[in-house]
Amino acid sequence: MSNAEAKMTATIRILRRERERRRHSLSEFEGDGTQRLITLTREETVMGRSPDAHLRLSSKRASREHAFLRVRGNDCVLVDNESRNGVILNGVKVHSAVLHDGDVIQVADNVFVYHED
Amino acid sequence: MAAFVKFWGTRGSIPTPASWTRVYGGNTPCVEVRFGDTVFICDAGSGIRELGKDLLKRRPAPKHLHLLISHTHWDHIQGFPYFAPVYLPSTQIRVYGRHDNGVSPYQLLSGQMSSDYFPVSFKDLGASIADHDLGGRKMIDGVAVSAFPLNHPGGCQAYCFEKEGRKIVYATDNELEIGAWDVFPDPDNKGPLRRCPKALIKAMQGADLLILDAQYDDKEYAAKRKWGHSSCYSATDLAIQAKAKSLALFHHDPESTDRAIDEKVQWCRQRAAAHGAALNIMAAREGVELKI
Repeated sequence: MSNAEAKMTATIRILRRERERRRHSLSEFEGDGTQRLITLTREETVMGRSPDAHLRLSSKRASREHAFLRVRGNDCVLVDNESRNGVILNGVKVHSAVLHDGDVIQVADNVFVYHED
Repeated sequence: MAAFVKFWGTRGSIPTPASWTRVYGGNTPCVEVRFGDTVFICDAGSGIRELGKDLLKRRPAPKHLHLLISHTHWDHIQGFPYFAPVYLPSTQIRVYGRHDNGVSPYQLLSGQMSSDYFPVSFKDLGASIADHDLGGRKMIDGVAVSAFPLNHPGGCQAYCFEKEGRKIVYATDNELEIGAWDVFPDPDNKGPLRRCPKALIKAMQGADLLILDAQYDDKEYAAKRKWGHSSCYSATDLAIQAKAKSLALFHHDPESTDRAIDEKVQWCRQRAAAHGAALNIMAAREGVELKI
């Protein structure tokens, strides 16, 4: 294998690895229509009212540790943590779900749209 | 104690991996119904492969599994040879299903593993796999499990799970036939509720969750009468008449895109609202787990 071919092979391998590593994010829509983008960098993101939650929710309807977003391989999984008011995915109350691009997540009074790159 | 229902395969007829089936999934039927440590598996379509991997990751990994086969058409048994727990000597699997002409689902599951079809013989599987008869209704670990017949070429049966006031019904591969007295097709989606078999309404009465065959819309059904599947409108009408709380549209057509399934859900919700029914409607989606 020539040097050029070896370099190309290495580049393809790196690009493929990058492509396989999906990036997960949420956009949150505030009451005034403004949008906040939240990139999910942790293996587990805690959503809740607790000051220790990674994604803090101010609503009184939110439980302290309301839900988790867990990155598992290429997937991002939403899990309800036995919360009082549950988690709504595209209008349906779910216990857990593998998320897909464009999913609308409602946690207490907060609404998020899930994105995957 | 709550029950959990997880969809591992929701597609009918044949596995359909495609960009346009990513959301609802392309695997053929497999639904897990869990009460505490007791795991019931409805059908062994290709979705059972991922369930098998997941079961092995759980701590403790469940060793006693109840596999309920609705019928033995390919899409409901094809995943069985790829279900990892069957290779483990520590696993015990009880197989339930219809016995037709002396032939059990167990025999047909093993038949698809003859050397002409699959490299590993059924007799070489590590797990202890036994044929069991529900006999109509049986208590299994405190869960009342019953079966009732459905309308499908060659026969099929539904399963009902009840415990402590919770009721879940898995009823796929069922044709709700549309009679001359019904409004069909119903392009305005405003027709009266279609007549559904009284036996089904009774068996499904008051269910917390109905998982129903809703492979077609009215237009598709018109071209596929007697194929053994239902229009989503008819499934909605059955759920309304059974006074169910939630309905999961199931056994999606291989030709149905994610967008088409979303549209079916919207139409069915409009239909339920038009009839004043307090019925939650969703489309069964791979990877989604519900708490009942």
